[in-house]
Amino acid sequence: MTPRKLIALTRAGIMESLQFRLGTFVTLFANLIYLVLVYYLWKAIYASSGTDVVNGMTFNDTMIYLILATALFNFLEMFIVWDMSRSIQSGKIILDLLKPMTFRKYTFWSYSGSHVVSFVLTFIPTFVVVMIVTKGAIHMGLNLLWFAIATVLALIINFNIEMIVATICLYTESTWGINIVKETIVLLLSGASIPLAFFPDKLGTVVRYLPFRAVYDTPLSILLEKNGSDTISGLLSLFGMQLIWVVVLTIAGTLFWNHSVRKITVNGG
Amino acid sequence: MEKNKRGLGFYLRIYRKVLVQDLKSKMSYRADFVISTIGMIMTNLAGFITFLILFGKFPSINGWDYHHMLFLYAFSLIALTPVQCFFDNNWNLRFMVQSGDFIKYCFRPINVFFYFISEVFDVKGLGQLAFGVGTLVYAWNKIGLVVSVPIILKLLLYLLTASLFMIAIMNAAAATCFWIQGSGYVMVIMFRFKDFAKYPASIFSGIFRVIFTFVIPIAFVAYYPSLVLLDPGNVPLLSWISPALGILFFYLSYKFWMLGVRRYDFTGS
Amino acid sequence: MGNEAIVMKDLCKDFKVLNRHEGLKGSIRDLFSRDYKTVSAVRNVDLTVNKGEMIGYLGPNGAGKSTTIKMMTGVLEPTSGEILVNGVVPYINRKKNCENIGVVFGQRSQLWWSLPLIESFKLLRDIYMVSEKDYQDMLELYRSLVDIEPILHKPVRQMSLGQRTLSDILAAFLHNPDIVFLDEPTIGLDVSMKAKIRSLIAGLNEQKNTTVILTTHDMGDVDALCKRIVIIDKGQKIYDNDIEHLKSYFGSYRTLRLKLDDDTWEETLIDESKTDIMEVINRADRQKKIRDIELIEISTEEVIKKIYEGEAS
Ligand SMILES: Nc1ncnc2c1ncn2[C@@H]1O[C@H](COP(=O)(O)OP(=O)(O)OP(=O)(O)O)[C@@H](O)[C@H]1O
Ligand SMILES: [Mg+2]
Repeated sequence: MTPRKLIALTRAGIMESLQFRLGTFVTLFANLIYLVLVYYLWKAIYASSGTDVVNGMTFNDTMIYLILATALFNFLEMFIVWDMSRSIQSGKIILDLLKPMTFRKYTFWSYSGSHVVSFVLTFIPTFVVVMIVTKGAIHMGLNLLWFAIATVLALIINFNIEMIVATICLYTESTWGINIVKETIVLLLSGASIPLAFFPDKLGTVVRYLPFRAVYDTPLSILLEKNGSDTISGLLSLFGMQLIWVVVLTIAGTLFWNHSVRKITVNGG
Repeated sequence: MEKNKRGLGFYLRIYRKVLVQDLKSKMSYRADFVISTIGMIMTNLAGFITFLILFGKFPSINGWDYHHMLFLYAFSLIALTPVQCFFDNNWNLRFMVQSGDFIKYCFRPINVFFYFISEVFDVKGLGQLAFGVGTLVYAWNKIGLVVSVPIILKLLLYLLTASLFMIAIMNAAAATCFWIQGSGYVMVIMFRFKDFAKYPASIFSGIFRVIFTFVIPIAFVAYYPSLVLLDPGNVPLLSWISPALGILFFYLSYKFWMLGVRRYDFTGS
Repeated sequence: MGNEAIVMKDLCKDFKVLNRHEGLKGSIRDLFSRDYKTVSAVRNVDLTVNKGEMIGYLGPNGAGKSTTIKMMTGVLEPTSGEILVNGVVPYINRKKNCENIGVVFGQRSQLWWSLPLIESFKLLRDIYMVSEKDYQDMLELYRSLVDIEPILHKPVRQMSLGQRTLSDILAAFLHNPDIVFLDEPTIGLDVSMKAKIRSLIAGLNEQKNTTVILTTHDMGDVDALCKRIVIIDKGQKIYDNDIEHLKSYFGSYRTLRLKLDDDTWEETLIDESKTDIMEVINRADRQKKIRDIELIEISTEEVIKKIYEGEAS
């Protein structure tokens, strides 16, 4: 496993994503419209609430959070579950399993290219726009570095969740069902659709210890210096949570995959 | 042979036969059915929880109180059922187009759109229907709307109208893949737009009000049609003419889809 | 309407494709480029096919065979030229055209993936509005030609490639179409399945007088089925005649093999229109001792290879 191989995979991924040129622009545009929807909804919510600050978040805070969460969502999105079920159905999975590296590694690095592309094409522009519109509401300091680290960890956690769910699909053929369960849970409990600050206390406490939160909420909290991430101890506990989940999910995912890969029954000829 | 012998009766008969066969073969995948149903219930629960969390914090949005919002929510859920049950194959369109497998729909002497759409009937949409109906009945009671035959007929008509708009949106979104490679995200995001259909369209203003009414008509997925029932004394013109508009939008989306088929140049040998 | 099943005149098909650049930089540049080029997949092809004919439509990879078939089936619109299939313009009257044709496209199954074959057949019967009697007759005919019982109640998704291809061919003939297009129907099949499929196609053509357009890279198919051969290369028709003529395309070649005293074989390719074989043998006999003589017909495959290679250079 040389780094050159991994870089080659990343590079191929970048080139492949860029092939879909119109698709790239359309995606950007669709995201923009989505954000408009989010904007109007929360504007109406805040206008009806009568106060400027709800759960310690102003309208601006909420918008920045949700906009960046959407951008992050796009950046982190993987279609491993669908891809896997398709390649099982077509029999292509055999070829992937024969690649000279473990399947998990191969999958991870094949996706890295599209991550790079969507980071450059979605996250950075969104970030810049937010900075311009809010006239620099996001602090530009060390938090950017911590955010970058947290995002990489989030990426790994997200990859592991995807892989575990995809592995479950080896047993059921019910890709749609499994996938929708995953998507629902991740979207709701990660804070991608409603900031975690709005959750009722009890639910909020539980959610804080789940891995989903580490995918969207943690990097964003760190970037926006919320949830005590502006103190060393707060930062450490957030990173600690992420690290624990990285380790736990990586081990669990690898074991589960290695155990299940023997199950693959290949369709067609 | 006469030309017009394949009329509506013919298509209904074929559809019924495909449906029966499809259901039969689905019965042999009971696990899949159970998991998909669980998935469906979970998405609806998650949607509902999101709704509760929001309303736990904010008593009303734009002058709409909890029960009226609940009505809109239920209305949008029911309006979503047809697109879920009958038009689910649209989700497979881009894969078929990309791989060239789509060509098989063009070799039969029947309508390509019908042939493609008839291939998948999605039972799990029915779970959502049950959920929506239950919620609607609850909200209906709480608001204190009357029940009478004309009103029920009106409800059915406007539910159908709303679902036509939803079908039109998804048709058009799916058809983009004939022109744009890698446009899969358009469908994903359009499907997420529908989550905003359950909020009163009055939250939008200016140009976006126009866009979300006439370009991406989510305002018609719940808001305008349900005004006919919620506020009978004060129904805007758009609500009255929404059935005609629904048919128009559906027709346009169908034409767009078929145009895509003509335009598409069938890659692969 | 005359005796022609298909008439094509001056038929052309161009594709517009983006000029892609190499490497990472190229990919980024392509994101904004409007640099298109035109690929001519089919150029000025004239072709007339009579009813009941079985035609081998041949050519090297990328020659434009599948593209031609897509135009004949009405899926693709020609860039220019005329085309008539059973008297209709396929692109304009796609549905009407589809009534009277059957198509098998390589390894893409057109059957309902999760249904048993017999259910697919019944659906097709309804879609094409075949009468019950014709349907039963056709099944009877199938039974007389191949053993369909083992696959009839199997869902298509559980079939092997060979069984699936067989099913697709049966499905293509089910509504007794005037023309059947077979695009590489024997790709990936074993020898016995190939033989089975060839005899099935031959039998159906004979019984129902169906016109068959066959593209293949297996000359065995051509030898077994086709009297007439059309070859295209780079979109242009380069040969259109009987298979017999094909062998004399480069003159009438045969290979002469002589077994010498030391048990080795010596091979010479001889053009009989120019050289007399007996003379060659006599000349050789005078020089060395000959223990055995073999005369081999040049195979279709070799001729085709010569044609493809000749055109390529
Ligand atoms: N949709 C398309 N877009 C662009 N170019 C295409 C398209 N379809 C075919 N081509 C090009 O047209 C040419 C002819 O392709 P076609 O598929 O007809 O070849 P073929 O004779 O069937 O080859 P094979 O034996 O490999 O199946 C090729 O150069 C191919 O790249
Ligand atoms: Mg081909």
